[in-house]
Amino acid sequence: MSLMINKSYDEANKVWNIKLDGEVDIYTAGSLKDAFMKMLEENKENIKIDAEKLDYIDSTGLGVLIGVLKKLREEEKNIIILNIKPSIKKLLNITGLDKIFVVEG
Amino acid sequence: MNKKNKDLIKLSVPNKPEYVSVIRLTVTGIANRMGFDVEKIEDIKVAISEACTNAITHGICQEEENFYIDFSSDEEKLVISVYDNGKGCLSNNIKTPNLGELNEGGLGVFIIKSLMDDVEILPNNGKGTVIKMTKYVGDDM
Repeated sequence: MSLMINKSYDEANKVWNIKLDGEVDIYTAGSLKDAFMKMLEENKENIKIDAEKLDYIDSTGLGVLIGVLKKLREEEKNIIILNIKPSIKKLLNITGLDKIFVVEG
Repeated sequence: MNKKNKDLIKLSVPNKPEYVSVIRLTVTGIANRMGFDVEKIEDIKVAISEACTNAITHGICQEEENFYIDFSSDEEKLVISVYDNGKGCLSNNIKTPNLGELNEGGLGVFIIKSLMDDVEILPNNGKGTVIKMTKYVGDDM
């Protein structure tokens, strides 16, 4: 039970693609935050998160995403979440975060 | 006449983040055995993780200590109580998060209250707090 983070920068479209595989909780949220902070240092551009293999996230992970979004908003950039599982979509709905992030697919 | 078959499971868990996923696996086993459907099991997993995250972050002053979880079950419901050793900084007056302000914290208890059927936050004998949460196997009463 851990988290794998696979990130790459798409130079042509000026967008970060990040794939999350596993679980984001109090144990793994720190490594996710570090990965995002490195990305923002390199390029402060839109971030596309592929959540197809994201099995679990809770408020610790959502807190990280909110923190990243705050920094992106300074440059009028956004977070786009793709291929989200129903259980995670439910969590975004009840917290209202589905209206804050762009949720696709 | 009380025909209900009540079972109690007690866990003592180190105040360490790496054990939260172990607790999720544990509660999945308990809830699955009781006949909860997949969606409700997901709700319970998130709720118990939030409660444990609270216990670990608020009780962290004594890192070597453990915190405690009780699982009390009968045919119709699962009652989970998470006891922390912290200073009892949680309250029942959790507001709906104001997303305009984009605060990183404060979502945990709100999520628990949204996902579980019944939630109580009680003082733990002057030594932290207890989050007591109930989920019904069938549809809510």
